Amino acid sequence: MWNWATHPISGLSFLGMVIGAVVILLLTLLVVMYSIYWQRKLIGWIQLRIGPNRVGPFGLFQTAADVLKLLIKEDVIPSKADRVLFLIAPILAFVPAFTVLAVIPMSQHHVFTANVSIGALFYLALSAITIHGVMLGGWASNNKYALIGGMRSAAQMLSYEIPLGMSVVGVVLMAGSINLNDIVIAQSRSIWYFIPQILGFIVFMIASTAELNRTPFDLPEAESELVAGYHTEYTGFRFAFFMLTEYVYLFAMAGLFATLFLGGWSGPFLPGWLWFALKVFLYISIQFWIQATMPRMRVDQLMTFSWKVLLPLALFNLVITAVLKAVV
Amino acid sequence: MALTDQQQPIRTEEMLLNVGPQHPSTHGVFRLVVKISGETVLDAEPVIGYLHRGTEKLAEDLQYNQIIPYTDRLDYLASMLNNYALCHTVEEALGLEVPERAEYLRVIVMELQRIASHLLFIGTYLLDLGAMSPFLYVFQERERIVQLFNEICGARLTYNYVRVGGVKYDAPPGWLDKVRAFIPFMYERIQMYDDLITGNEIFLRRVRGIGVFDTETALAFGMSGINLRSTGFRWDLRKNRPYSIYDRFEFDVPVGEHGDCYDRYYLHLLEMKQSLRIVEQALDGIPDGPTLGKVPKIIRVPAGEYYSGIEGARGELGFYIVSDGKDKPYRLKIRKPSFVNLQLLPDLLRGRNMADLIAILGAVDIVLGEVDA
Amino acid sequence: MSKETQDRPNASAVPSSASAPPSGEKADAEAKAVADEKPAADEKPAADEKPAADEKPADGKPAAATPAQEKSAEEAKPAAAAKPAPSAGTKPAAAAAARPAPAKKAPPPPDPRVEAAKAVAEQIRDVIAASLGQEAVEEVGAAHHTPMVRVRRESWVETVDLLKRHDDWKLNYLELMAGTDYPNYIEVVVYIQSTALGHFVCLKTRTPRENAEIPSLVSVHPGVNWEEREIYDLLGVTFTGHPDLRRIMMWDGFEGHPLRKDYNVWAAKEDTDGTD
Repeated sequence: MWNWATHPISGLSFLGMVIGAVVILLLTLLVVMYSIYWQRKLIGWIQLRIGPNRVGPFGLFQTAADVLKLLIKEDVIPSKADRVLFLIAPILAFVPAFTVLAVIPMSQHHVFTANVSIGALFYLALSAITIHGVMLGGWASNNKYALIGGMRSAAQMLSYEIPLGMSVVGVVLMAGSINLNDIVIAQSRSIWYFIPQILGFIVFMIASTAELNRTPFDLPEAESELVAGYHTEYTGFRFAFFMLTEYVYLFAMAGLFATLFLGGWSGPFLPGWLWFALKVFLYISIQFWIQATMPRMRVDQLMTFSWKVLLPLALFNLVITAVLKAVV
Repeated sequence: MALTDQQQPIRTEEMLLNVGPQHPSTHGVFRLVVKISGETVLDAEPVIGYLHRGTEKLAEDLQYNQIIPYTDRLDYLASMLNNYALCHTVEEALGLEVPERAEYLRVIVMELQRIASHLLFIGTYLLDLGAMSPFLYVFQERERIVQLFNEICGARLTYNYVRVGGVKYDAPPGWLDKVRAFIPFMYERIQMYDDLITGNEIFLRRVRGIGVFDTETALAFGMSGINLRSTGFRWDLRKNRPYSIYDRFEFDVPVGEHGDCYDRYYLHLLEMKQSLRIVEQALDGIPDGPTLGKVPKIIRVPAGEYYSGIEGARGELGFYIVSDGKDKPYRLKIRKPSFVNLQLLPDLLRGRNMADLIAILGAVDIVLGEVDA
Repeated sequence: MSKETQDRPNASAVPSSASAPPSGEKADAEAKAVADEKPAADEKPAADEKPAADEKPADGKPAAATPAQEKSAEEAKPAAAAKPAPSAGTKPAAAAAARPAPAKKAPPPPDPRVEAAKAVAEQIRDVIAASLGQEAVEEVGAAHHTPMVRVRRESWVETVDLLKRHDDWKLNYLELMAGTDYPNYIEVVVYIQSTALGHFVCLKTRTPRENAEIPSLVSVHPGVNWEEREIYDLLGVTFTGHPDLRRIMMWDGFEGHPLRKDYNVWAAKEDTDGTD
């Protein structure tokens, strides 16, 4: 298979990269738009409401209208804010969110994505950069709620990154590769890893929820406590960028989840991309379901939970996996 | 070098945070100035008065029946109880006899109102704790109650229904049956909330052992209602100083054990069941007859001073009237349960963190219309 | 003034002869004014209260609520012993006088519940007098059906504290605190409940309108903190010894005290500092 990494960059391959990135960007925007739509519909149904139904058939264009509204809104920069940081924070948050999509194998042949040999590591490393964007955004806003929100999210993302990474290592051990595509292939030959890696699967589910700042771990933007958390002061398209980051990560995390535990694009009968889409849809729906059901945790309980429950559990899983791997 | 670095701790600063008056969890325009260190609350100072409309002053220029609509706007989630509290004091002062049917109708609407108010507490409290769905669920049951009120008095929020000497309208045909049909439905829903919310581990961890105070403190601070009962102290004016016809009904006064937020939440559920029991008995016993007693067109309360309190949705709701024998009160003072209950808040918050702040404030259950009057 | 009311405690059924009619008395002519107004003031409450007085027992019987009522009576007043005495004597008379009362100008017979309340108030007076001296109590009577004792402002805190600690009273649960602006004085009233013994008592004190000042009760009942702030804010009474006496309803820059009868919005300055 042709690989971006092993070939010298020529004008044609560069053009290919750009086209690939643009296609993925468009795809991502579409996914984000309809995840938001689906979120509002699904939560609406759970809460015995109707959800959006005004713009377009079944309200399908509601999110597009919302985005349009955000784009034409005034871009307010608070006069006391740290201007430069305030401006770059949303970009700093968004870029890694989009970049990690490059390594998620959406189909067998990596049509538009990179078959990087260190895929899993790449994902974890890049996604950590987003914390800077969130924290700087909170700090630069010069708003106390935003500051608390930013600090909370930094603490939270750092704490949950570790159990998340540990649960990924379990899968990596089983597959014997960090290449995400290889992991999928390994699963298609044996069994989807959520069964042998059930402990890691649970840890991953919880840690990824926290990593995405979603209920019950949505403390950084806990509306009832911190108004809107780190993006309190952001308006217009900068606010849209933060929202976009959040949903792109949701998509990326769903992709990672499908790849690591549900066999990615592999599956019988249906084409690979459809299997992938179904698994992503499953993860996203579960997230929304949890969001409609759970109250929020308290910040100190959140930390305790990560360090005292999830991390030992993930380490335990790692040890078991290693031992089994050596024995079997 | 290393030693000195260790000896010098990181310099931290306390921060003053204005929670409110525009904040999603202050239930209105309530402002709390909190001094925090990190996320720990060192001190808190409630600032109120943003919704002060001078009800007491306005009342001095109004005839007694004209004051009733103003009481609707105090605790706007329990307007029926406010209506009744005022009328009750005036009736006490006049020594008026209220027709039986009117008393029964009053009890029915008051208990329904209590249920509606408690429901909304559960919804908003869970919303404060980050769960959005219960808030939308409770509106269904509340909607049924509000519809019943709409049918009996033509209003959904500010009823102006209870009048001095009785109630304004008799129940329309079939209304009592609708109330009867509501009871089993409501029992079922209470059970549902119990199943869905009470066992949730995250919820329990947020509310157990938070905002604890004991009976001594509660009494010293004049707290009433569920806030007082959550400490295990059985004090309900419907039992301890019976008014209206509450002495004819059988019902229990549930009390808490620990005086924490969990008890306060759970008592709301239990009290709704008791209210349903009262409504049930009232529906069985309601006689036919007039709904408004013989009340003079212009009510002149004899000179003197009068105080009577009732068990409102949030505690003891009382009206103190000083009359000089004219048709308007010389002075009207409202004993506002939310206002009194709120005083303990700074003591409860000290040493807790920001998330607890919301949990504690929510459980004290204030309505700003009442706090600010 | 105080002597007069003490001298003839059972003379009239007026809920509260001294505090009630603020309509234009002068302080110096107070006693006279009360004496003058008595017949006029008497008839209205009497006419209205009488039906209530004898309906209560009549009401209870058919409604099958007698046990509950008995219980409430038990709980409510250990002073119930005092109650039968006047009521037994006055009830027939009250019933007889009830119907013609509105027409006649004759002084109506007293309401038994008011009489009971007054008897309780007398007991409280004795308790206070025993500890704080005779001059501490300025007036005893009844606020509607609640025993009322008015104490002088110097003994205000001591009185409330005494009644809170006293074994026979234990008035520990302060339910209401209210201030009222009368033409010549400002009166602060508290309604206190004893949760253990069931007493429900009204205590009062007065202060002149100029430089109004009353010792603060916060040390005894911390729950009056905000109520006192509210009275300070709206009526302009300074509570000495209050830990945090600031405006509570109005903003800090506000001038005047709206609940005072002579407060005039139009006379007050159009816009004061910090309106928003």
